[in-house]
Amino acid sequence: MSVKRFFIITFCFFLCSGLPVALASLGPADELKPTLNKIIDILSDSNLAGKEHKEERRAKIMAIAVKGFDFPEMAKLVLGTTWNNIDQQQQNHFEELFTKLLENTYIGKLESYSGQEVKFEEERIKGDKAKVSTVIDNNGIAIPVHYVMLQKESSWKVYDINIEGVSLVRNFREQFKSILRKEQFAGLVKVLEEKNASFSTEDIE
Amino acid sequence: MRYGILFLAGFFLLASWGCAQRQPVITANAPSLEADQGQENEFDLLSDDFFSDDPSAHEPVYYDPLEPMNRVFFEFNDKLYFWVLKPVNTVYSAILPLDFRYCIGNFFTNLSAPVRMVNNLLQGKFSDAGIVLSRFLINSTLGVYGLGDPALVDFGLEAKPEDFGQTLGVWGVGEGVYLCWPIIGPSNARDSLGFAVDVYSHPVVYVNDDMMVSTAYYSENKINLLSLNPEAYEDLKKYSLDPYVSMRQVYLDYRRNKIRDKEVTQNVVDEL
Repeated sequence: MSVKRFFIITFCFFLCSGLPVALASLGPADELKPTLNKIIDILSDSNLAGKEHKEERRAKIMAIAVKGFDFPEMAKLVLGTTWNNIDQQQQNHFEELFTKLLENTYIGKLESYSGQEVKFEEERIKGDKAKVSTVIDNNGIAIPVHYVMLQKESSWKVYDINIEGVSLVRNFREQFKSILRKEQFAGLVKVLEEKNASFSTEDIE
Repeated sequence: MRYGILFLAGFFLLASWGCAQRQPVITANAPSLEADQGQENEFDLLSDDFFSDDPSAHEPVYYDPLEPMNRVFFEFNDKLYFWVLKPVNTVYSAILPLDFRYCIGNFFTNLSAPVRMVNNLLQGKFSDAGIVLSRFLINSTLGVYGLGDPALVDFGLEAKPEDFGQTLGVWGVGEGVYLCWPIIGPSNARDSLGFAVDVYSHPVVYVNDDMMVSTAYYSENKINLLSLNPEAYEDLKKYSLDPYVSMRQVYLDYRRNKIRDKEVTQNVVDEL
């Protein structure tokens, strides 16, 4: 084989191998990593620590979270079939309340951790869904956290978090279903509003 | 005599097998794009169909006809937690430093190793059973009666918790009705039976058949566990809209995940 031919083959090889990478957008793990890192940076920023900076810190975290997490999709999933039975205005209102609930619960919980490290273990893609597995090291105890992601318009967003088999969205959905059965949608909205209010009164105490 | 030798041979074989099983190092950032290859072991989160418009797909996957009774016991446990367990735990944690409580936790875990080994064997997880045995031997000797955990720290042998409820699950026994027991907490028909069997296969019953000793043992174990995870229950209450439903879902999801997990190390060894 001549040297020239070798170079041509090598060149073609690199051209071809580079092609799919150039065509496809970023993978799910590549999209999730910066989101989580930015949130951790804010949480570990000493200028934003403490209760007096809560508003500012939460606003910054949520600005990043809305890009990485698909809150509208989560709101839709968590309501199940009820989602289709309510009007546009109610859907928007519910989405707002549920996003606020996630902020209070999930981000509220993250704030109680400090200096934890997130390790990315594996990513798996199946159609327009993907699972990114991470391990959070909390004072020597490894907690496996799986992010279930959905691809929409070529970008991947998280729509469920699964910790040791326990799904965040499913857990809320079962709770909501139980409330909906007894008190219908209006009752659920009331319970959600009360729950969110309980988090803001907690800070005043 | 002959059986004794056979038993000893089997014992050492199992122990040495366990020692040889180190945890496989998970290669970081290795995307496995070839879906489902070597993934049969793992429950597929991605095939969990949230998107189905079929209403039957959203029907409950639990059976809780005793909900009114369970809710009463849930309330009872809630009161028990805030009126008894929490104050006791506060005093307990103030008296005993964290390191000491970890040692007590290790001691309890080590003492129940026979139960875990039997259940690993019953589930066909032979190398895991070997790991449990190795951990028991190492921790009982080098770990000074199981107070330390040198098996994990120095030998990298991770705990392999299995109970009889899981064994029954692996054998294909259904969950039955969901139950929330007073004091014990969330369970189901299958796991309640499993719990009873585990209590009776625990060495503490044979060492001393005094009911008081067993009760004291389980109470101390419960308080110690609580002192090591003080936030768990209060977090669940704080972050949920219906704590009863949330706890039921956590329990069922967590147990199902435990039963689905197959022996990872076994497959790695087979491939080599």
